Amino acid sequence: MALLQIAEPGQSPQPHQRRLAVGIDLGTTNSLVAALRSGLSEPLPDADGQVILPSAVRYHADRVEVGQSAKRAAASDPLNTVLSVKRLMGRGLEDVKQLGEQLPYRFVGGESHMPFIETVQGPKSPVEVSADILKVLRQRAESTLGGELVGAVITVPAYFDEAQRQATKDAARLAGLNVLRLLNEPTAAAVAYGLDQNAEGVVAIYDLGGGTFDISILRLTGGVFEVLATGGDSALGGDDFDHAIAGWIIEQAGLSADLDPGAQRHLLQIACAAKEALTDTASVEVVYGDWRAALSREAFDGLIEPMVARSLKACRRAVRDSNVELDEVSAVVMVGGSTRVPRVREAVAEMFGRQPLTEIDPDQVVAIGAAIQADTLAGNKRDGSELLLLDVIPLSLGLETMGGLMEKVIPRNTTIPVARAQDFTTYKDGQSAMMIHVLQGERELISDCRSLARFELRGIPAMVAGAAKIRVTFQVDADGLLNVTARELVSGVESSIQVKPSYGLTDGEIARMLKDSFQHAGDDKVARVLREQQVDAQRLIEAVQAAVAADGDRLLDADERMVIEMQVQELTELMKGTDGHAIEQQTKRLSQVTDAFAARRLDSTVKAALAGRNLNEIEE
Amino acid sequence: MGTPCHFALFELQPSFTLDLEQLAARYRELARGVHPDRFADASEREQRLALERSASLNEAYQTLKSPPKRARYLLAMGGHELPLEVTVHDPDFLLQQMQWREELEELQDEADLSGIASFKRRLKVAQDQLNDSFAACWNDAAQREQAERLMRRMQFLDKLTYEVRQLEERLDD
Repeated sequence: MALLQIAEPGQSPQPHQRRLAVGIDLGTTNSLVAALRSGLSEPLPDADGQVILPSAVRYHADRVEVGQSAKRAAASDPLNTVLSVKRLMGRGLEDVKQLGEQLPYRFVGGESHMPFIETVQGPKSPVEVSADILKVLRQRAESTLGGELVGAVITVPAYFDEAQRQATKDAARLAGLNVLRLLNEPTAAAVAYGLDQNAEGVVAIYDLGGGTFDISILRLTGGVFEVLATGGDSALGGDDFDHAIAGWIIEQAGLSADLDPGAQRHLLQIACAAKEALTDTASVEVVYGDWRAALSREAFDGLIEPMVARSLKACRRAVRDSNVELDEVSAVVMVGGSTRVPRVREAVAEMFGRQPLTEIDPDQVVAIGAAIQADTLAGNKRDGSELLLLDVIPLSLGLETMGGLMEKVIPRNTTIPVARAQDFTTYKDGQSAMMIHVLQGERELISDCRSLARFELRGIPAMVAGAAKIRVTFQVDADGLLNVTARELVSGVESSIQVKPSYGLTDGEIARMLKDSFQHAGDDKVARVLREQQVDAQRLIEAVQAAVAADGDRLLDADERMVIEMQVQELTELMKGTDGHAIEQQTKRLSQVTDAFAARRLDSTVKAALAGRNLNEIEE
Repeated sequence: MGTPCHFALFELQPSFTLDLEQLAARYRELARGVHPDRFADASEREQRLALERSASLNEAYQTLKSPPKRARYLLAMGGHELPLEVTVHDPDFLLQQMQWREELEELQDEADLSGIASFKRRLKVAQDQLNDSFAACWNDAAQREQAERLMRRMQFLDKLTYEVRQLEERLDD
């Protein structure tokens, strides 16, 4: 109780303590972690001073190797070295085959439809491989910043669908990271560039990474970043440029297209080096074994032209979707290493009629922006000047209706969070169940859309056809993750699911991986669980104390305040001990007694926003 | 708090004529107050509330910002049932609809981009006219039927705008 009384209203009840949070760019080719240090957002280097961590993971029988050394082993140990794993995230085996490239891995099926890669350390899902990359970044951040992380903002391509987002979040969970937000990469880049509160106007973010292409159109108004439209291609990137050059070598050198995995990797490495050299020179000599030939920038431009054209087409679509005209776009930001390719810059400049911005390193800009947002979300900035990022869903969400058609419930480019309901009825007398099939995509036929989940609403009381009223509600949270509820309104029968994508991991698989990772780390599971309960409790106590300090005088009567303070004290006492169960129970209790207070605070912020508005109007 | 009327949420009187700039500015202020990002380190309950409030704010904004949706919402206020799909008795408009569609098909067959641009301009003019007519009659009980008819026309033109966009996309292939 004493704690609460010391604090002045609006002040943190505890001495100012910076809560450590990081931004992570989990990229196809490279990954980075960045944090705000002395007011400046910057990528964190490893012990050798390198900020970029190649997204390469090599599995040995007894250990995991991540980064540059793993990448170098890709040609010599192709089966145990996973590159560009981001392209496999949230994908089924069929999708992976359709990626159109010959991946060297041996895939095996798991409990779910997710492809597992066979390694010397056993089967590894793309989620586990990504988690291994994230763990390295987390350790780097914790040792550089000198403390445990409150959480992380992890970036995803704006075009990532539900399954890919969920897979990313699962990977973070496996790596022991608390995800403050999944943030779209282009939005993160806009934050890095648009920190100036006075920046206003329409901005296009052209993001061509190793494996994905994103285009977002944003409107910046007084610190609010509103995504108007987003589009792209989740299977288009710089890797495709490498493949195009590799294809050219195969053709010119008269090689058999059926290369073994090691030779394939070797060929791609040569292709990638040639691509990078062509950024600064007009022609490069390509050597493969005894064969050699010159590749001019012009010829390279010709090879990649179809891919560049594909990206521009997505740009035009996004501009149309955002209801702005091309000449309203006042700035174009370049993101991703592949935007170093001169032809790409040239084509983008031609299309938008202006030179794109490239001042911030295109490989670092996303992590830098993510770190800024992470710092705000962790609660380090609460002065009203924090940026607000309003994102959209990239693909329409809907349901299967009669005749195998997709009915859209939430169209693409709708601002999130969003909740929308649609009513259906039964079509047979006495029908007691209804299948709900959740889909994502733009096409009309369900076979052309991605199936996200199926579930059944059961126990509908017997009625004549058409009498039941089944309301299906879609709710998308700020991370872009979907929750679907179905409810029969006459009887109140309800069924809901947190959509687990068809290509995601099953809960069983996640449980096994978590267990494995504990064993692997030599971690004591009980201690770990207790630690998590303590962290949860601490987080709640801090939130409640900050809330009471800020609004307690205004929104709580003396009795209510006393009850809350007593529960806080009780929890504080329990946290000194080791009874995890009691801590968990008390955390729940504290959460319950602050329920009404929480609702009041939220409503009062709405009123405050309006009051501020009215005041301005009077002043005008 | 229940579900307040979309207009009340923005502290506006129900009206078809809205200053969209002002609506957008107010939306941004309200969003600042309730967006889940403000509650990233708050209790689970507060996060859930923020999610719900944000979602209903977004819904209200989407509805008010689009003229056909705003028109429909105004007509549905006060408990009037408005089925989404009905056969409207509006022979004049039916004829006009057919003309619009035929024209669009021709534009598609000829892949006529400048024709599409002028089609879009005419569509915009027609939409503006409809909006004006609706604004003049929606609040008059005696003209209820006319207001509903105009609202359906607005919906049709909205759909047509979407089809034009899809056509542009196809021609871009």
